[in-house]
Amino acid sequence: MDAVVKKQTALGSYTKRRHKISAGDVVFNILNYTFYILFTFACVFPFYYLFINTISDNELVRTGQIKWYPVGIHFNNYLALANVNNLGTSALVTVARTVIGTAFMVVASAFVGYLVTKKEMWGRRFIYRFLIVTMYFNAGLIPWYLNMSMLGLTNNFWGYIIPGIVSPFNIILVKTYIESIPAELEESAFIDGAGYFTIFTRLIWPLSKPILATIAIFGAVGHWNSFVDSMILMSGKPQLYTLQYRLYIYLTSTSNLSALMNSGGSINPQVLNSLLNIRTVKLTVAMVTIIPILLVYPFMQRYFVKGIMLGAVKG
Amino acid sequence: MAKNQSQHSDIFMILLRAVVIVLLISAVIPSINPARMSGLINKSSALITMALSYSSIVSGFTRALNRGWVAESALQMLYISSLFVCISIAVVAVGCCITLGKKRLQRLGAKLIAIASLLGTLALLLLLPAYSQISQTSNPDRVEPMFAGGFWIFLSLFIVTFVLGLINIMRIPKPTAEDGYEMENKYKLFLMILPFVILCFVFSYLPLWGWRYAFYDYRPGASLTRESFVGFKWFTYLFENPATRADIARVLRNTLVMSGLGIATSWLPMAFAIFLAEIRASKFRKIVQTCTTIPNFISWVLVYSVAFAMFSTEGFVNAILIDLGIIENGTNYLMSGEHIWLKMWAWGTWKGLGWSAIIYIAGISSIDQQLYEAATIDGAGRFKRMWYITVPGLMPTFFVLLLLSIANILSNGMDQYFVFKNAANKETIEVLDLYVYTLGLGSGGSGNIPLATVVGMLKSLISITLLFGANKVSKLIRGESII
Repeated sequence: MDAVVKKQTALGSYTKRRHKISAGDVVFNILNYTFYILFTFACVFPFYYLFINTISDNELVRTGQIKWYPVGIHFNNYLALANVNNLGTSALVTVARTVIGTAFMVVASAFVGYLVTKKEMWGRRFIYRFLIVTMYFNAGLIPWYLNMSMLGLTNNFWGYIIPGIVSPFNIILVKTYIESIPAELEESAFIDGAGYFTIFTRLIWPLSKPILATIAIFGAVGHWNSFVDSMILMSGKPQLYTLQYRLYIYLTSTSNLSALMNSGGSINPQVLNSLLNIRTVKLTVAMVTIIPILLVYPFMQRYFVKGIMLGAVKG
Repeated sequence: MAKNQSQHSDIFMILLRAVVIVLLISAVIPSINPARMSGLINKSSALITMALSYSSIVSGFTRALNRGWVAESALQMLYISSLFVCISIAVVAVGCCITLGKKRLQRLGAKLIAIASLLGTLALLLLLPAYSQISQTSNPDRVEPMFAGGFWIFLSLFIVTFVLGLINIMRIPKPTAEDGYEMENKYKLFLMILPFVILCFVFSYLPLWGWRYAFYDYRPGASLTRESFVGFKWFTYLFENPATRADIARVLRNTLVMSGLGIATSWLPMAFAIFLAEIRASKFRKIVQTCTTIPNFISWVLVYSVAFAMFSTEGFVNAILIDLGIIENGTNYLMSGEHIWLKMWAWGTWKGLGWSAIIYIAGISSIDQQLYEAATIDGAGRFKRMWYITVPGLMPTFFVLLLLSIANILSNGMDQYFVFKNAANKETIEVLDLYVYTLGLGSGGSGNIPLATVVGMLKSLISITLLFGANKVSKLIRGESII
């Protein structure tokens, strides 16, 4: 009896304490909120700042006058991108590699992830380890480059795609996911006379769409963002440079604007310089490269938590 | 069933498959390329390279063709011949896969192999007239006609597969009417995954073969010959050459300091998650989480463009400081070489903190809420609850990630340091990965490939040792492995 009363009072004080806010709590909350507001601001503001600099008056941008809000809004910078050297081809290459590379990687990961769940496969344990071990070692940059060059994948668009098709980490993700699908489903399809391939396309593929979306998003972001492979593999073929590498070249170029721009003789360079300057061109190219990521970001969010959690439980 | 088993382990069949595998591998090894009938053909092109692109043959012959030393028809013949040899090899490989099936398929496979070997031999013989054309060149010194020794290797391989194919056709009993074109499931599955296993081998295991460059005096474009074999020269060079030794010491220091900073602050994401969980307003939490993960999804080039916008001479930070009257003229912070380690750490944290916190945020939500209630009843305050409930709950995750980051201490990637590198900060920003790149590939074709390979090789070996060490530690302490 005593114990019960004691517990009740304890519970009472517990609920009371939840409502009572001490001075220490206030200080803690203020500090806590301040930190998170500042950090969030630090994460978002640069993008906003980048953006307002691309739509503000170019002369003000050049002298660094734009700080908190845009002045003299115009969108000529974005229109002028049509004249930036090689930007169009780079954008095309990047989109192509993102779409094709992601599609190949997702289909391969799904298929291989499904196959390695099949216990009856000849040599399954060895094959699975053979694939997974590659996550933990690599021969190094130079041998990798020499290998790619030996395979004829340097200065070749497929050099972006083929090496990424088999991705052990994504295979693990898919395999773990497929293993959580009730085995009875597959068994009944098997009894109905469906082969492995039919089961994969008609049953496994639709059922594992959530995890496939997750790896597709990570794959696409990876392809969109990569530039080192472009720099190393495509050094002899500038028309295959990705957008990111192109942006890097622009950002680090110290030459004047007309070197960046392909005025094609139709625009007087002097006029061009008064309309644009090297800073705005750099910032606008950066913005154009960021925008696709910011656009798909809201859709990605749903999936990446799932991905990171599944990744933590490796099988 | 037992009969099937005995068929699969038939000695002639196994022999045939082994020879087919040898044939396949031969097609990708440049040094036994049977179609390299002239010194003008790149030494590093294998048979498959020549079959895939005609330009890989012609590229060396521009001058020879212009001057009329060689007729283009000879080169075309080389190309057609290598193309058909490769097609034959592909058919042989397909036939070899088919022999994994039951009787009917086995016979079919053996027939395919025999026929394709015959065709391959014919295609191979086409190289002879091409060679005789090349050897009749008017300028043998420049064209360097040579008879590729690989020709004999391929010829004998084809003959062996042909004979073995015939033997197998004779040995496999005639299928009865009820035998269909069937294959056991285990082999079906194996054949389905085989292409991916091969891809994985080609891109993840084959590069290890490139480690041999560490033992040669190799110059880009040249090839590895017996004369250029230098043994461990580059290994000793690495430690004996004072300039390289100083470089390595500097680069290792940078790598260890920057990785060390990351490891020393690896508790930050956990703290970020724990303190974020203390905020009651769930909307606010959600917004913070969303916004702080954005930087993780942009590349280092884009981070650099953000840095350029904010910290260059006309950037935001300078503008604000001038407004506040702290400085008079803007400086380009990106060009300065001061505090590079801290700056790089700060950018890494800016990019990764919110993202790394996600795993801890998910971890907190899986901790039993009753623990908190019980602790509150017992009079534990906010910090006590954090310290005695949340932190121990997240410890396993933290521990695994910590061990992995220790195992990766030498590999901090090159992207970040490459984009931020400039003349002013070169000394302090160069990490091992970047150094390997600059040493081997960064100087436009004149890099020291062997030395860079040696450095990368040692790095890989140390990393894998560290990983196994970390795994052992994890097994000892937690009884679970991390890999």
